[in-house]
Amino acid sequence: MSGEPAVRRSLTHVPVQDLLLRAMAVLRVIVLANSLVLYAMRFEDYPRPLLGWAVMALLVGWTLVSVWAYAAPERRRAPLLVGDLGVAVLTIALTPLVKGAGPSATLPGFYVMCAVLSWAVVWRWQGGLFAAVAVSITDVSIRLEFTQQNYGNIFLLVIGGAVIGFLSALLQDTAAQRDAAERAAAAAAERQRLSRVVHDGVLQVLALVQRRGPELGPDGMELGRLAGEQESRLRGLVQQGSRELVAPLGERDLVELLGELESPHVHVATPATPAVLPAETASELLAAVEACLSNVRHHVGRDADAWVLLEELPDRWVVSVRDDGPGIPAGRLDDSASEGRLGVQQSIVGRLVDLGGSAQVRSAPGQGTEWELSVPRHTSP
Amino acid sequence: MSEGEQLRVMVVDDHPMWREGVARDLQEAGHRVVATAADGKEALSRFPAARPQVLVLDLQIPEPDGVAVTGEVVRQDPSVRVLVLSASGEQSDVLEAVKAGATGYLVKSASRAELLDAVRRVADGDTVFTPGLAGLVLGEYRRLSDVPAAPEADTETPRLTDRETEVLRLVAKGLSYKQIAERLVISHRTVQNHVQNTLRKLQLHNRVQLVRYALEQGLDDDQPG
Repeated sequence: MSGEPAVRRSLTHVPVQDLLLRAMAVLRVIVLANSLVLYAMRFEDYPRPLLGWAVMALLVGWTLVSVWAYAAPERRRAPLLVGDLGVAVLTIALTPLVKGAGPSATLPGFYVMCAVLSWAVVWRWQGGLFAAVAVSITDVSIRLEFTQQNYGNIFLLVIGGAVIGFLSALLQDTAAQRDAAERAAAAAAERQRLSRVVHDGVLQVLALVQRRGPELGPDGMELGRLAGEQESRLRGLVQQGSRELVAPLGERDLVELLGELESPHVHVATPATPAVLPAETASELLAAVEACLSNVRHHVGRDADAWVLLEELPDRWVVSVRDDGPGIPAGRLDDSASEGRLGVQQSIVGRLVDLGGSAQVRSAPGQGTEWELSVPRHTSP
Repeated sequence: MSEGEQLRVMVVDDHPMWREGVARDLQEAGHRVVATAADGKEALSRFPAARPQVLVLDLQIPEPDGVAVTGEVVRQDPSVRVLVLSASGEQSDVLEAVKAGATGYLVKSASRAELLDAVRRVADGDTVFTPGLAGLVLGEYRRLSDVPAAPEADTETPRLTDRETEVLRLVAKGLSYKQIAERLVISHRTVQNHVQNTLRKLQLHNRVQLVRYALEQGLDDDQPG
């Protein structure tokens, strides 16, 4: 409960602590008025009314000082808090002198809770507990008899001090975490903005190398090809980066997943809006598309072009994968199945049927091959 | 087809290497580069005097961006053709540019021959689509038809005819206009018309939306005509 950690906390958690202490200032004025009114109604019965008025003056003065002092974070240090608790303890201790031995109520009355709660706000549950115990001991020490009522008050004060301290710490920590998260998000957004600028520059150069390379002879041709591959990979990453966090947990954005397949030979067309599917459905569908693409590489050629199109129909998602190859002669698919090369049919059709969808292949010699994979929307998991 | 006719072209790109490269390609092909600009402000201030037939435009340029420039130049001169060249292919930007009036889109890695062909074709009033753009446009029509029309909306949500949808799907699947014409047993020109219509309806819808927005905001005094 030393001053240093309190100062560090008060600097990092200014807004929450400020709010709590501002509320405390209002509370202080209300309970002060309460104590003053009660005293004004009774002072004539007491043995030393003048001393009592002096105590009341002290409370009024201290209220003004503390409301001012608690307003600024740099003043919320040990001297202020110790002074606050000191005033509470002192005014309780003076009560028997004003009212005579064994008073039923202390002079400050509820005012003492201000000190306890302020300790709780600034020094957390340990502070609240300590201040409550200190006030309680003083209170008990001036009593001649210990009533049920006294016990109840003390019990509430001690519990209240600790609980308010705990909650105040929780609030301040939560606020600190929120601040940290906001800072992290701002930093991430700035990084993303910067990387987009950088990426755009890199993409431009890669695209330029790709275009100009072939004019420089065979080596240039190779350079251009390499630049082209990197260009489309980076483009995919950039587009993916601008879409992150679209899909909730347990779901995936198919637009993003398919976008990653883009290469100089794989052309991907999708809607501009995300296509959010349950994660399992999305990855099964993606695996089926990859199987189609690997099929294109095997049967048409490594450098064969393929086109992937994602469409969102009212009742289903449709992914088409097309190539411009020689096409599969009628019956070839069935042949390959009977020859034991189950790759194509099993893996693609099987996956789609498992998803409650369907896979159809259209092909004719000389017209390429086109797979149409469709998955119903709103499939209940 | 006006093969070989000299075109007045303006090139807007913030990357000097690109700007000069594209300008040189165009000049070597016999076109006149009437202006170049490095950002949106320059583009808009040089456009009225330069009066290009074709604007070759990068979308990622300093403010105002390519989408805003497209909208403004098409408003000033509805006969200008805007060909969008984009490096990163930020999909929503491309779609917005097309809705604002661009009639062609190419990724920057397209070859020089592809670029020259695209400039020639947009100048002829044709639309230059990539499969990626066709996918975006298809998605946009589906999105518009999903949104329930406001009851007081007097303009129809744009819709594609079955044939247009069919043609656009084939474009998105990478078929050339020639292949599409063969497959659907229609003429090359008919394919082009269908594709053009898909963009025209979208652009018209976009303009109507903009005008309605302006009227609602009480900005109609600034609208010419």
